[in-house]
Amino acid sequence: MADLTTRPVADQEWDDLVRQLHNQPKTGVRPFFYARVQARLAANAAAQSHALPGWLRRPAYAALLGALVMTLSGDGAARRPAAAARCQDCPGARPQPR
Amino acid sequence: MAYSLPLPLAHAPPARAQLNDAATDADLVTQLQAGSEAAFRTLVVRYQDRVHRTVLALLRSPEEAEDVAQEVFVEVYQTIGRFRGDATLSTWLYRLATSRALKNRRMARAKKRFAQFTSLFGFDNRVLHEAPDHAHPQALLEGQQQLRHFLAHIARLPGQQQVAFTLRHEQDLSYEEIAAVLDTTVPAVESLLFRARQTLRKHLQPHLHHG
Repeated sequence: MADLTTRPVADQEWDDLVRQLHNQPKTGVRPFFYARVQARLAANAAAQSHALPGWLRRPAYAALLGALVMTLSGDGAARRPAAAARCQDCPGARPQPR
Repeated sequence: MAYSLPLPLAHAPPARAQLNDAATDADLVTQLQAGSEAAFRTLVVRYQDRVHRTVLALLRSPEEAEDVAQEVFVEVYQTIGRFRGDATLSTWLYRLATSRALKNRRMARAKKRFAQFTSLFGFDNRVLHEAPDHAHPQALLEGQQQLRHFLAHIARLPGQQQVAFTLRHEQDLSYEEIAAVLDTTVPAVESLLFRARQTLRKHLQPHLHHG
């Protein structure tokens, strides 16, 4: 029974709340919003122009990366003399100069 | 679309903005896809308040709303080339605005949880402040406690329900329009709104009785 008496009041208050929500003052953006969007676009464009990661733009890191790539992608020629020195008796090993 | 248009001066003469004021949204999209800066300006001016209000209704923070609204228009500029007209321009904008606002909200909550976590272990010696209560100015000025409670509970609704409720009761969108924004059906929107109202009424019942 309590519900029967309170429910209509609650309904009315609910409707009032929804109305208040709907009737809130319609705020707009602050002036010069378009200019700020433009500035953001310009900043994004500038950021995109630095597409390389920061560490790659440093010469020392770039050189290190280059050396690493050369080492890993080589055919092992750099290591061959050392291998030959360890295996002088192997067939095909070049005689050491006297 | 890659950023290819030359950026005009920020304070270009207003006459340029008037060029397309009467253009339909479809015309605007066509002109924008062709690289018209005037069309972009017209689009921003036409929709800035609607986008801002929608985001503000979801975030309740004017600063965050401004930031997200800017992001929405930057995204429009950068992706207008992919807009195929499957939805109307306004639907697309509402979709971008609501999804970005919800993403922003998720990130803010994650940040807050992380701050609480680190404060538990003493990683951060700063005092942990609660997020400021960005109650609506009207509620603050007139002391409308009920409206403040109402807004607080709306903010706690699950994302889709909050979007549906906000678009319906603050932005006056029809069920069909909300369904288009959420990329769902009208019955699904009805269900979202029903659950949102049910949750809100349940939480507000003590305030409604004794407020």
